[in-house]
Amino acid sequence: MAEKKNEPNQKKNTGKGGAVGKNKGKDNGTRNLVIGMILLVVLAGAGSAIAKNRTNTHAALPSDVSVSEGYGISFNPKAPVKLDVYEDFQCPHCRDFEAVNGNYINSLVRANKMHVVFHPITLLGPESALTAAASACASDQGKFLDYHMALYKNQPTAENSGYWTNEKLALIGHSIGITSAKFDTCINTGKYATWATNVETDATAKNINSTPTVLLNGKSIPPQAEQDLASLKNLFKAAGVK
Amino acid sequence: MKRISHAAIAPWLTLVARLLLGGVLLAAGYLKTTNPAQAAASVRVYRVLPTGLANVFGYALPWIEIGIALLLILGIWVRYSAVAGGGLMLLFIIAIGQAWARKLAINCGCFGNGGVSADGKVHPGVYLAEMLRDLGLVLVAAYLYRFPRGKFAIDRIPEEFTEG
Repeated sequence: MAEKKNEPNQKKNTGKGGAVGKNKGKDNGTRNLVIGMILLVVLAGAGSAIAKNRTNTHAALPSDVSVSEGYGISFNPKAPVKLDVYEDFQCPHCRDFEAVNGNYINSLVRANKMHVVFHPITLLGPESALTAAASACASDQGKFLDYHMALYKNQPTAENSGYWTNEKLALIGHSIGITSAKFDTCINTGKYATWATNVETDATAKNINSTPTVLLNGKSIPPQAEQDLASLKNLFKAAGVK
Repeated sequence: MKRISHAAIAPWLTLVARLLLGGVLLAAGYLKTTNPAQAAASVRVYRVLPTGLANVFGYALPWIEIGIALLLILGIWVRYSAVAGGGLMLLFIIAIGQAWARKLAINCGCFGNGGVSADGKVHPGVYLAEMLRDLGLVLVAAYLYRFPRGKFAIDRIPEEFTEG
């Protein structure tokens, strides 16, 4: 390839004489510098994007996390029927899912009737990561389910609009009765940011492309059951939930 | 009035073509860098590559687009950059076409916001519009391949490439 590229240059030099040849060294210096910079931008950007989305085994883990279940927040691992909920706290359909089915699913979790794993993924961007990390802080306080519901009740209309800040996320926790100062520290220090990346990385590897994705015993439930409590209850009953 | 010959305006057309193809690639790349997770998802949903490969491609693609865009805009290796840019567009046309044929309900993700389409439905009009836009950009790339010598370029390209 290099040979081919030089061919026209040589023709030019022999044909039209010195002007181009004279400046060639200087021009090539600038040109090579620019090419080098572009190459650096591309390699550094692509490299860091790939590296960032790897599982970090040193990540701080919130309570109730199950590493073998994609770093999800796992309840009642001994119950026979399993539900995986891949969700994004910024996603409107997830808010709808929670509004329709949240109380029912929470009641099953509290009655130890179902193995439920929540995977707060961050498909929609930076504020998804903030809310996911904060939900893990609430898990440490034993308040994951309440905090989960409160996040959806307070979901703003626009994504990544600056609405979700550490202050706001702490306030939501206080509003559902979290009083420990550890909770605020956990949010303010971004303690579980790396954990949130791990959840996302796992979902990425499992080809989860939309939220909510709800798996009943590993199988995706039909979209109409996501927004209809009666169909969801029927599905669960058929799967053996009492 | 004198007729304007193509040879006289070709360098300017080439500049416009470089800015057009480069500008689109730069915008597309930049908008995707802000959310790598979504960039990866938007490649996965086309269901062409296996998940692992799709993810790596999804993370790298925005930066490849930015790289090609900068080369085009600054006028370096214009012929090869045009081939790379046009090649990407061809790839996108094929990807969208096969998604349409298989009735995959997706957003193109061309400028971010990829993934499964918001209402979970296939929108043929959107697919067609995206394919036509990419086809237009393939033609722009083809022009650049034929006439790479333009104004305000870092590379000096011999005059033989300007003859129409």
